[in-house]
Parts: sequence; structure tokens; C-alpha cells
Amino acid sequence: MTWTGFVVRNLLRHPLRTALTTLSVALSIFLVCAVLTLPAALNALFERTASSTRISVHHEAGLSYWLPLSYVQRVKAIPGVAAVNQFTWFGGIYDEPRNMFPNFAVDPETVAEVWPDYRIDPGALERFRRIRNGALVGEETFRRFGWRLGQEVTLRGTIFPVNLTLQIVGVIPASGNPVMLWFHRTYLEEAMEPYGGLRLVGMLWLRADRPEAVDGILRQVDAMFRNAEAQVTAETEQAFFASFLSSFRELVRLVLAVGVLVVGAVVLIAANTAAMGVRERIPEIAILKSLGFRRRPILVALLAESTLIGLVGGILGAGGAYGILTALALAGKTGAGGFLGPLSGFRMSPQVALQGVAISVIVGFVAGAIPARNGARLNVVEALRRLF
Amino acid sequence: MLYRALLPMIEVRDVSRWYRRGVDVVHALDHVSLHIPAGRFVALMGPSGSGKSTLLHLLAGLDRPDSGEVIVAGEPLSQLDDDALADWRASHVGLVFQFFNLLPVLNAMENVELPLLLGGLPRGERRRRAEAALGAVGLLHRRQHRPNELSGGEQQRVAIARAIVTDPDLLVADEPTGDLDAKSATAVLALLRELNRAFDKTIVMVTHDPRAEAFVDRVIRLDKGVLVDSGEAA
Repeated sequence: MTWTGFVVRNLLRHPLRTALTTLSVALSIFLVCAVLTLPAALNALFERTASSTRISVHHEAGLSYWLPLSYVQRVKAIPGVAAVNQFTWFGGIYDEPRNMFPNFAVDPETVAEVWPDYRIDPGALERFRRIRNGALVGEETFRRFGWRLGQEVTLRGTIFPVNLTLQIVGVIPASGNPVMLWFHRTYLEEAMEPYGGLRLVGMLWLRADRPEAVDGILRQVDAMFRNAEAQVTAETEQAFFASFLSSFRELVRLVLAVGVLVVGAVVLIAANTAAMGVRERIPEIAILKSLGFRRRPILVALLAESTLIGLVGGILGAGGAYGILTALALAGKTGAGGFLGPLSGFRMSPQVALQGVAISVIVGFVAGAIPARNGARLNVVEALRRLF
Repeated sequence: MLYRALLPMIEVRDVSRWYRRGVDVVHALDHVSLHIPAGRFVALMGPSGSGKSTLLHLLAGLDRPDSGEVIVAGEPLSQLDDDALADWRASHVGLVFQFFNLLPVLNAMENVELPLLLGGLPRGERRRRAEAALGAVGLLHRRQHRPNELSGGEQQRVAIARAIVTDPDLLVADEPTGDLDAKSATAVLALLRELNRAFDKTIVMVTHDPRAEAFVDRVIRLDKGVLVDSGEAA
């Protein structure tokens, strides 16, 4: 027999209790890992899409306010601006309301210049420029709806009183933007003619000809529209996403708080189990002490039990979360997980899994600390008196 | 040999031990002095509450006196701190309890091996010694059995094997026959007597069992915490 064997034997004394405690730890760590993945996934999304030379220009009051179309030409004239494009949120629904996804009217002529890092196939870009109702679709949305190249799809307008029938002419790789759909601004303008036309734009995207030009462009855009009818905010793409995601970050904080509470609850459950384990073994601990076991080995043996439960629960929970989230991400990639939407883009990193295991070990250790300390400090004569 | 027989294994010098029970002070032992030479088999007898178990706990280094001194195998126990006392128990004392107190999750062999975990012995050596101890009590063939698969008498013999596996100077037994039928009780007393004679072990046993008197060298009687018969003439 060894010390490890001794600890394991004690854990297996009540197999059901140990299994249930381990599973409760595993489930909570599963949740914690999923929660920890959220900020990491948002950061990854943000880092992946942000460019150092792209600048957004939108209404100072927020993204739901419009800018005059004339702003496009005015910013194009600023020195250092290599290209300008424009985003107008169409808010179209494909088939049924739950099939909402981001779709924008853009200028097909400058897509390649403003988003060269998206690595859109040149053939697709050429078709996009040429076909009046052509549309480029993010890879995951393309898979989500099972669309084919050349297929015509109709988007039902929710903001504009028009429905648009678009022809899918190409795919935006997932490494660029996996979910958006882009179509011709002019196509929307034509559709809006019966309703008085469209002279506004949602926001502008500029590309600086070099990173050093970015600060100057930002200053000039600010100066240009300081006293204009619609004042603007110009910011780098990184800053834009940071502010855009800030509302999500509040949600993430809330979810993280829930995660902390879950961990706290599990500590209490595990502590209760450890305390029960120590309480019912007081006679045995007294015998061990009478045989000459010092406080420390008894403390270590009792702590090892709860820590081992934490470790096994952590491996099960973090491993399970890693496996399931990876499987979901793969399913999203192959199209089988299209129903997951943006969730399919959330990949759990091995670091998060390791964090989960570490948290779990700490949970086990903390839960066992007080019961183990009490067990190790047991007065042997008092305990023996209770025995006989 | 004669010198060793006269050498005191245990010296109790004017020892008192009292407990607080609410506002009352209970004198479990009141100025008790005695000495027990090495290699003797001694019974501590007396009515309940006479202080037998308290004295046994002091001799085993499980408790400390409020006054006086306990010296066992030349070691003044009051001078040892808790850890040193635990180490001393591990190497000098073997304990046997009324209710056997084997660990239910371990088999007989592992229960006997348990005290050897403290000694830093290699696994093979631990196993060899545990087998020897189990053999000495005649239960080697039951080594894989867990306590709940053994009779009361067998469990007590395993507990005795656990007590002698470290080859201690002193064996203390607290009512070792208290939970056994007559046949098993006699067998356990005979085993203790045999261990005392064959291995020259000093044994101090608390008992109510009148049969024990036939097996021991000496009977020490206590009543209300006071030594009433040191049994020196026995």
C-alpha cells in the first residue's frame, strides 16, 4: 500500500458520493470554461478583423443615425485616403424572422481597396462589380443557409420598404468576415426611387494609404465635419470594434460574475462533502494519530482527497467543454452547425481548458482546507473517549 | 537478562490528571506512582471511571499529565512536543482497542502495513514485515480480507498484528476482549501472553475481564483515580 493508494481508497469509500461531487465540480467547470471562452472569443474576433489602416466614420450620435451621401466625396479628397466605401444597414430577413444576419449596401468598386485583407477571390470581385444585383456572402452565412453560387435569394426589408432579390456571386472567406452579406448600393437606390430615393448613408469606411497617415486622417475628418449638419466620429477599426463590443463586454462581465458564483456554490458543495467525510471518519483519524501519524500527513491525506476530486472534476469539465466547443466549431465550419450562428465561431483555447483545471484544483483545495485542518487538529484523547 | 527484567519500562511519578466538566473538576488520576519492569504483562483493573483508560493514555503518550512525570523506555514523555510524541508513539508503542478500529477501506494486510507508512521503509520491506506480523497472529491466510469479512476475534488479532508490526517496546491494550465472545476473548488473551513471552514485549492492558488475571504477571487496581493495589507482590 502507498499514500496515493490510501487516499484513493478513502475516496472510493462512498463511490456514489464521490462521483456526484466530482460531477458537480465537472459541470461547474464546464460552465466556467464556456464563460471564460466568451471574452477570449470576442477578443479573437476583434483582433482578427481589425486592420491598422482602416478607419470608420459614423454619426457622432451613434450607428443608428445617418450621414449625408455627400460625405463620401468629401472624405475621399483628404490626403492619405486610398479608398472610401460606405455601409448602409439594410436589415433584411431571409425567409423567416429568425434568419436575420448583417447585410449591407456597399460600393462594389472599392471593396477590394478597402478590404484587401479579406482575400476575396478576384473572380468573385469581378462578378460582384459586374452584376447589378450581385452579392458577396460571408462563408458561415453561406453555409448556414446552404446557398449556392449563382443562386438568387430574396431579402425582405425591415428598415426599407422594399424586398431585394440578390444573386450570390462570391464568398467572403471566414478569415475576413464570416457572416456579412454585401450588395450594390445602387441596386438599393434604384429600389428606393418610388419612395423618394436614398440620399443618406449609414457609415463610411476609409483606408489610409499607409499606417502613419491614420492619425492625420482622423484629425482632418474631425476638423472637416466639426460644424457640419451631421457631426461625425472617426476612429480606427480597432477603436470602432472596441466601442461596438463594449455593450457585449458588459454582458460578458455579467456572465463572468455568474461563473464566479457558480464556482462559489461548488466550493460550498465540495466543502460540505469534505466536512461530511472528515466528520464520519473522526474515529479513524483518532486511530491514525494514536498510531503515530503527525498532523501534517493527516492534513495532506485529507486535502489530497478533495484536491483529487477537484482535479478529476476539472479534467472532465474542462476536457468536456473543450471537446464540445471544438466539435461545435468544426460543425460550424462544415456547415453542419449552421444553426449555431456566431456561436460556431467560438473556439475554446487550450489555455482556457488549463485555466479551468487550475480553478477546479483550487476549488478542491479550498473546499477541503477547513475540514482537513479540523481533522488534523483533532484531539486524539477526546476522539478516543467518544469512541469508547 | 536479570538486569533487563528489573529495568523499569514504565515509571509513573506522582501523576495527576483532572478534567473540567462544566463547573466541576474531575480527578481522573490523583497522585499515582508506579513502575513496571520491561517484559511484563500487566492488567489495569478497576470499576468504570477509576482512571484506568486515563492512565493507559498517559503511558501510550496520547495524553499529558497535569502534574507528575511519565517515563517510558527511558523517555520522559512530558518533554516531547506533539510531533515528537507522535514519532515516539510510532516507534515505541503499539495500541489495541476494544472495537478493533481497523480501517474499513483497507484489507487485513494493508491495515497491518499502515503504521509502517511512517517509517520510510521500501514497499517490499513493509509488505514483508506486515506478512510476518499477520503470520504471528495466525491470520496470514486472511490477509486479503476486509474487516467486514472477518469475525470479531479475527479483527482483534489483525489489530494486534498492526500493534506489533513496528516491533514496539510497549504494547497497550484498552479492553481488548471487551467486544468478543468468551472463546475469542480467551484466544486473544492467550495471544497477548504468547507475544509477551515469545518476543519479550511489555504489555499493559486495561480490562474488566476477570479471565485476564490468569494470563497476566501482575494486576494493578485503581479506584476513583487512586492506586489501591500496585500488584507488586504478584
